Amino acid sequence: MRGHVILATAALGALAIAGCGSSGSSSSSSGGAGTGAATKSCVASIGMEGPLTGPVATLGQEQLHFAELALAMDNQANKTKISIVQGDTQLNPAQATTVTQQFTANTKIVAVVGPAGSQEVEAIGPLMARAGLAFISGSATNATLTAGKYPTFFRVVSKDSVQGPQDAHYIISNLHPKALMIVDDQEAYSTGLVSAMTPVFTAAGIKVDHESVSQKTTDFSSLVAKVTPATTVVVLPWQVASNAQQLGRNLAQQHKKAVIFGTDGLFSPGTFTINGSYVSSFGPDITAIPADAAIVAAAKSKYGSFGTFGPPVFAATHVVDEAIASVCKSGNTPSRSNVLAAIKTTNEPASILGQPISFGSSGDLTNGKFFLFKINSAGSYQLIPG
Amino acid sequence: MAFFFQELVNGVTNGALYALVALGFSMVYGVLKLLNFAHGDLYMVGAFIGYFVIQWFGGPTALTIPVPLLLLIMFILAAGVVGGLGVAIERFAYRPLRDAPRIAPLITAIGVSFFLENAALLLFGAQYRVYNTADFISLSSGIQIGSVTIDSVQIMVLVLGLVLMVGLRELVNRTKLGKQMRAVAADREAAEMLGINVNRTIAATFFLGSALAGVAGVMAGLLFNQVNNTIGFTAGLFAFTAAVVGGIGSLPGAMLGGLLIGLAQSFVTGYISSTYTNLLVFALLIVVMLVRPSGLLGRAQLQKV
Repeated sequence: MRGHVILATAALGALAIAGCGSSGSSSSSSGGAGTGAATKSCVASIGMEGPLTGPVATLGQEQLHFAELALAMDNQANKTKISIVQGDTQLNPAQATTVTQQFTANTKIVAVVGPAGSQEVEAIGPLMARAGLAFISGSATNATLTAGKYPTFFRVVSKDSVQGPQDAHYIISNLHPKALMIVDDQEAYSTGLVSAMTPVFTAAGIKVDHESVSQKTTDFSSLVAKVTPATTVVVLPWQVASNAQQLGRNLAQQHKKAVIFGTDGLFSPGTFTINGSYVSSFGPDITAIPADAAIVAAAKSKYGSFGTFGPPVFAATHVVDEAIASVCKSGNTPSRSNVLAAIKTTNEPASILGQPISFGSSGDLTNGKFFLFKINSAGSYQLIPG
Repeated sequence: MAFFFQELVNGVTNGALYALVALGFSMVYGVLKLLNFAHGDLYMVGAFIGYFVIQWFGGPTALTIPVPLLLLIMFILAAGVVGGLGVAIERFAYRPLRDAPRIAPLITAIGVSFFLENAALLLFGAQYRVYNTADFISLSSGIQIGSVTIDSVQIMVLVLGLVLMVGLRELVNRTKLGKQMRAVAADREAAEMLGINVNRTIAATFFLGSALAGVAGVMAGLLFNQVNNTIGFTAGLFAFTAAVVGGIGSLPGAMLGGLLIGLAQSFVTGYISSTYTNLLVFALLIVVMLVRPSGLLGRAQLQKV
């Protein structure tokens, strides 16, 4: 009996651990027969931090897919042998800290792509700085992250202090609400945007009902009951698109006419399809960028549909890959310090995001911008020019 | 007043779901004194089964069978498969530890919970699967009284929830199996000496409790539209709380606890703010526990000395 108990416990534990986190697992893409320029065998590892499991795993998995895609293409083009070490942060700062400690202790890792959330960057920034390890996020947009606290941090997306006021001004000028409801999802990303938008609304004389729900909430009928006839806009700076879809359904169920205005995580064609809604995103719809056709085709055939969280991580991975390749081209072995230096001098005239990529002294993307979409009756996302 | 009734409907609907899941928690605790933390994940499995049934029959916009038949298949399949899964979990994860210190099956229950959650991640991926209920059950169907809306899915959840709760109560109070379950819950060794097949009774308890969770999962999918591998955690947490507040081991208590939590969430969100929903709901529950430590309908345990 005792043997059975031990066996069962061990088996369950092993299975749970195997499924629970992929921290430390690695995947590599073999180099192809491209016309690459690396002059000798260019071998390096990069870390990839993202919410690979947990409530927003759908975003993290998309980020991982695009990181792997970029790596495969860059390895082939540059004749490099770069591999990815995955770290599952679950969008949790404590988990991100643990993963980062593993990465900083792994001397083969010369740079990191990620993490996804601003709260995670806050947690790991000092660890990365101490280790001299460059890290590039494809989705952390909190404005304070690039205030000089984290000298090895970069991002390939713009920041909340741009997005919040820009979205608020659009709502005021084009949707003309007298009252609106703004709902945060109790994460740093969401509360940061609420803080950036609310003063703009109140300054314009709009009555703001600020609400807050957990990302794990799945029913919004009680919240929607509070939407008055005067409330014509519901602002959702959220990361889970299916939650917004359910809130939209609750609005329709209770015959409420308010328009949903969402951000970033709500860009999910096929999941968030409420007619007449708006989505502001740090990433463009790359399916509408002709130069990205090959990447779009490769991503769709390998991973299926995707939103806007993957392409910026492709861009971030590409920056790291090119930095490593340039170090190798100059005859050096990639290290944290020379890869960091190469990343700082990044100057890509074109990228998957449809804009050049270079970094300011604080790690911000130069001339970063946001994109605004409106969802039509077919559930398609139409880019709003300007 | 209309606002009050709208929140009442919302609260009772959610409360019925919590109550169904809490019943399974309470039943298992009653017979095994085990907090089955994997119970919320069985609800998640039920929700996935409902989703895949919709897909098997053509998807929400192109169903190949009538909607009532679809719903019947969803509920029966979810109840059967999840009930069977509950029995398997009991057989392979909990039964070998039945005489071990109580912490061992508790830890195993947490392990089973992680196992189910991550098995679903590996099998079905991380993305949310959407039922798109409105594509086959119109949002405009249902009852409209003034500005109060009760759609047909809410009505179905309320009616089916009530039927299942009453049915379970009758089963436990009036059938031979129910008597056996009560006997095992009261004193397992004495029940065994009286000729009751304890293993079979416990397996039946797990089947019933898990089947209810499976049905609740399908209801949640229809009502909330979305399912992914993590939805069981929150549902399990609220159901566990409902079971404890109602008096763990007490079936009427689990129902009452579920309804209480659903209503409290709804009214706090509606009349105060969603920001403070969990804070105030759990503060209320702490007060209940301070006044009645064994739960609203629970009985104080006799201390053997």
